[in-house]
Amino acid sequence: MKVSVLYGTETGNAEMLADDIRSALCGKHDINCINLADLDPGALSSETFHVFVCSTYGDGELPASAKPFAEELARTGDGLSGIQFAVFGLGDAEYAETFTHGSLKLAELLKSCGATQVGERMTHDASGDCLPEDVAVPWISEILNQFPVHSKEM
Amino acid sequence: MSGQIAIVGAGPSGCYLAQALLKLAPDLKVDLIDALPVPFGLTRYGVAADHQGTKAVTRQFARTFERQGARFFGNVRVGRDLSLAQISSAYDATVLAAGLSSDRPLDIPGGDLPQVYGSARLTRALNEHPDAVTLPDLGAHPVILGNGNVAVDLLRILCKNPAEFDGSDLGPGPTAWLAANNIETITIVGRSPAAKAKFDPVMVRELRKLENIHVTMDEPESSSAPEEQKKLQALHDLNGHGTGSVRVNFRFGIQPLAVEGDSRVTGLRVAAVESEEIIGATSLITAIGFMSDGDLNRDTLITKAAPQQGGKLDERLYSAGWFRHGPRGTIPQSRADAQDTAALILSELTIDPARMGATIFAELPDCTDYLGWQQIDRVEQGQSLPGRCRQKITSTKKLINVAKQRGQNL
Ligand SMILES: Cc1cc2nc3c(=O)[nH]c(=O)nc-3n(C[C@H](O)[C@H](O)[C@H](O)COP(=O)(O)OP(=O)(O)OC[C@H]3O[C@@H](n4cnc5c(N)ncnc54)[C@H](O)[C@@H]3O)c2cc1C
Ligand SMILES: Cc1cc2nc3c(=O)[nH]c(=O)nc-3n(C[C@H](O)[C@H](O)[C@H](O)COP(=O)(O)O)c2cc1C
Repeated sequence: MKVSVLYGTETGNAEMLADDIRSALCGKHDINCINLADLDPGALSSETFHVFVCSTYGDGELPASAKPFAEELARTGDGLSGIQFAVFGLGDAEYAETFTHGSLKLAELLKSCGATQVGERMTHDASGDCLPEDVAVPWISEILNQFPVHSKEM
Repeated sequence: MSGQIAIVGAGPSGCYLAQALLKLAPDLKVDLIDALPVPFGLTRYGVAADHQGTKAVTRQFARTFERQGARFFGNVRVGRDLSLAQISSAYDATVLAAGLSSDRPLDIPGGDLPQVYGSARLTRALNEHPDAVTLPDLGAHPVILGNGNVAVDLLRILCKNPAEFDGSDLGPGPTAWLAANNIETITIVGRSPAAKAKFDPVMVRELRKLENIHVTMDEPESSSAPEEQKKLQALHDLNGHGTGSVRVNFRFGIQPLAVEGDSRVTGLRVAAVESEEIIGATSLITAIGFMSDGDLNRDTLITKAAPQQGGKLDERLYSAGWFRHGPRGTIPQSRADAQDTAALILSELTIDPARMGATIFAELPDCTDYLGWQQIDRVEQGQSLPGRCRQKITSTKKLINVAKQRGQNL
């Protein structure tokens, strides 16, 4: 299946995780990574499964590289019916009140534009003990396993 | 033959630049040179011990060395161990990413009294930088001068009780020092009005988690600018917080005039909105910016070049990070910057196979490398005390000795 890992980042941790997801899944899926800063919402396709990996900044806001994408999406308002996605949030539990709200807001926005969220939103705490890839890879593998066909050709 | 690039300074801006260069051109030889035997600059020695999440960016920097092939030459101070000219002639391009490590002096009468401590000096000591001097006795009434994130970092750390450092890498020395202090009040003084204070709202919000403090301030004014509103809201929410033993008073819009005291600091004389007053103080912590330590002639280099796109200073010479911009800007900003600078360098690079590259370090006996850092990292994590994620090795000599045992199972 075609999979796009789309990352929103400021210090690059989400990009690194997106790379890790790609490396872990590249034998099984036709997978690529794109910075949300380089993506127009109009380019999302129902042929592709989208995995959003997104950190949080400010007071629970989106990271810089995701902002233009989200603004454009909010402006157009709909048009994502048929789009399927999953969301992984990076954050820091030190920011208790807004922990991973960036990814939460992004998921809400995508849904409000008609896209369908698959699986639970998963999160990672930068000040915790585990590595983001150890949480994210099993999570996304499980989600992608739900699809009937996962050969490269689809 | 691939190009050879020297980056002086292995802090965030140097590391991000190496990452960006090697992403664009994986065949390059990118060498990071640092005065310290260990990499990562202020991520290791500035970012607060209780913000381990922020320090997680070093995982990316590690990959730049481990997977992208950047090399580390530690314990090489450019301007002392080797000259900039030597580096520059050995490489096709050189980037100065040496940061700004000295405290800007407090330029008012009394600013040189012994109990006036710069934040660089204090944060180095709290972070167990190998060149740090001992932590001073701040007395019962320290005043923090400055309204940036560094000032708030210091305020937070001084107010935390020992349990609030669980999971951090705060060392045994600083931990004992914090536990033994007898601080009763901390006044934090900013020149600008509250709405223009430089700290991020999220830093102010974090203070509301502290148990030890009782916060007071004059209710801040209002503003119509969204960014300012957030800051003012955060301050408003903090006002009155806590019933702890340390009283924290925020003061805005006041101009420091002089440090009071003959041989010891007794207060800070300030011009408030309407009148002059003296804020009683046993010590003064200045968080008012940083400057170059003088090993590299920054002023000459920067003024001569001012201001060129992409950090260019001269033919084959570039700058990045705090060295380029002054002591402003966060880790994310150094990343964004690095991508522009990398593109510029590559667009201008001319490769001369006759340049010596890293062989110029061969003569330096105590030069450390990345394997040495990995050894230090293992030892530091392995010897961490309960409640801590790391115990830093604090002397240059020991760091070098451990680095030399690289690759061994200690
Ligand atoms: C106390 C403090 C706390 C901070 N907290 C945060 C935070 O929480 N989040 C955030 O985003 N930003 C924070 N910052 C800002 C952040 O640290 C800077 O944006 C960033 O470190 C700038 O990177 P740099 O690489 O330019 O400089 P530095 O990190 O200072 O790195 C410079 C490197 O150059 C080396 N060097 C210096 N002189 C020489 C020489 N002559 N020869 C060879 N090497 C040399 C130094 O040893 C050092 O390793 C903080 C800053 C301070 C001071
Ligand atoms: C200034 C600042 C503000 C932050 N605010 C939040 C926040 O509100 N909530 C949260 O969960 N994480 C917050 N974080 C933590 C980041 O989301 C976390 O460090 C993440 O790993 C960064 O990923 P990135 O490198 O992809 O940007 C903040 C970090 C910084 C430096």
